[in-house]
Amino acid sequence: MQLIVNGETVDADVEEDMPLLWVLRDELNVKGPKYGCGIAQCGACTVHVDGMPVRSCSITAKQVEGAEVTTIEGLGTPDALHAVQEAWIDHQVAQCGYCQSGQIMSAAALLAIYPEPSDEQIDRALSANLCRCGTYPRIREAVKSAAAKLQGA
Amino acid sequence: MKKTLGLASALGLGVIAAMGVALSHGSGDDDAAIDLVVNQPEGDVSREEGLAAWDRIFAVASHPRCANCHTDENNVPMWSGPSYGKTRPHGMNINAGMSRIGIESMPCTTCHTQSTKPNTIPHAPPHTGHVWMLAPVEFVWFGKDTQTICAQMRDPERNGGRDGAGLVEHILHDAEIKAFITWGFNPGGGREPAPGTMQDHLNDMVTWTAAGMPCPDPAG
Repeated sequence: MQLIVNGETVDADVEEDMPLLWVLRDELNVKGPKYGCGIAQCGACTVHVDGMPVRSCSITAKQVEGAEVTTIEGLGTPDALHAVQEAWIDHQVAQCGYCQSGQIMSAAALLAIYPEPSDEQIDRALSANLCRCGTYPRIREAVKSAAAKLQGA
Repeated sequence: MKKTLGLASALGLGVIAAMGVALSHGSGDDDAAIDLVVNQPEGDVSREEGLAAWDRIFAVASHPRCANCHTDENNVPMWSGPSYGKTRPHGMNINAGMSRIGIESMPCTTCHTQSTKPNTIPHAPPHTGHVWMLAPVEFVWFGKDTQTICAQMRDPERNGGRDGAGLVEHILHDAEIKAFITWGFNPGGGREPAPGTMQDHLNDMVTWTAAGMPCPDPAG
């Protein structure tokens, strides 16, 4: 099966019903998306499918065939970070860090639609990405910084 | 008189024509077909029979499995019923937005994928063959009494423009694509299903609509 991951078309010899997260991590060695709960409850595995955030543990390879899959590796690079990634570093959002790639992907999806999100919009968009360390206040501030950066402030 | 889904044409539904067809379509995944039969009532259906059928329809509509996503203009799905303990809004600060399919940056499908596969995993966001969403805001059922839901369901301006035949067809179409009504009777994952079966519900809708969609007297 052919998948489009981070802009590259890749061949994956997998069963059609293999969860996308398994394809990414175990077959394509894309380790940014994390395995948290495995049942779309925590958000650690969040990727973008055609720009929208999706829990990759609960969508099958077949369901994303032909779609643009973007993981945190495709959001930015170490030399050219996405504004959200930069903001995450600036605010030192991560504590243990396990949920953070999912948080960043959800934040990037939010800012793609709401360039100046309110606190309420941030909370609604990111409350379903669970952080056991409780980094939400820093997440909210980092999202605001990223929003300003994306707007050239 | 008992007829198969071919009766859909006789009822002017015109969508599902094959006699006795097994409704097995969906979003491409394979699993067991759902066989439904439209049982056309013989002769007139009395108001009493219609009201009895309505009582059972209300039991389904007001069941948490259905009502939890038939919520008001606040666009917040609910978690209630024996699977959830205390009644409360959907966790994780979820709001389905004006679109009712989730806020634009995080649609319901972020977690509730679209699939006709059986729901087998406890606590996992359930899925159907339809894109996950709240029912239209006009269809508020959560916390509403039988008279209120009955008045809404028979009002074409608040039921998606459906007459009696349209309501029956709605159930048949739902079974065809394995959408929310179908899921309500087989929610999986340890969730309590809506009372009765999909066939019972279809029978009741046929009976209720044939009786002229009577609603209970507010005085009881």
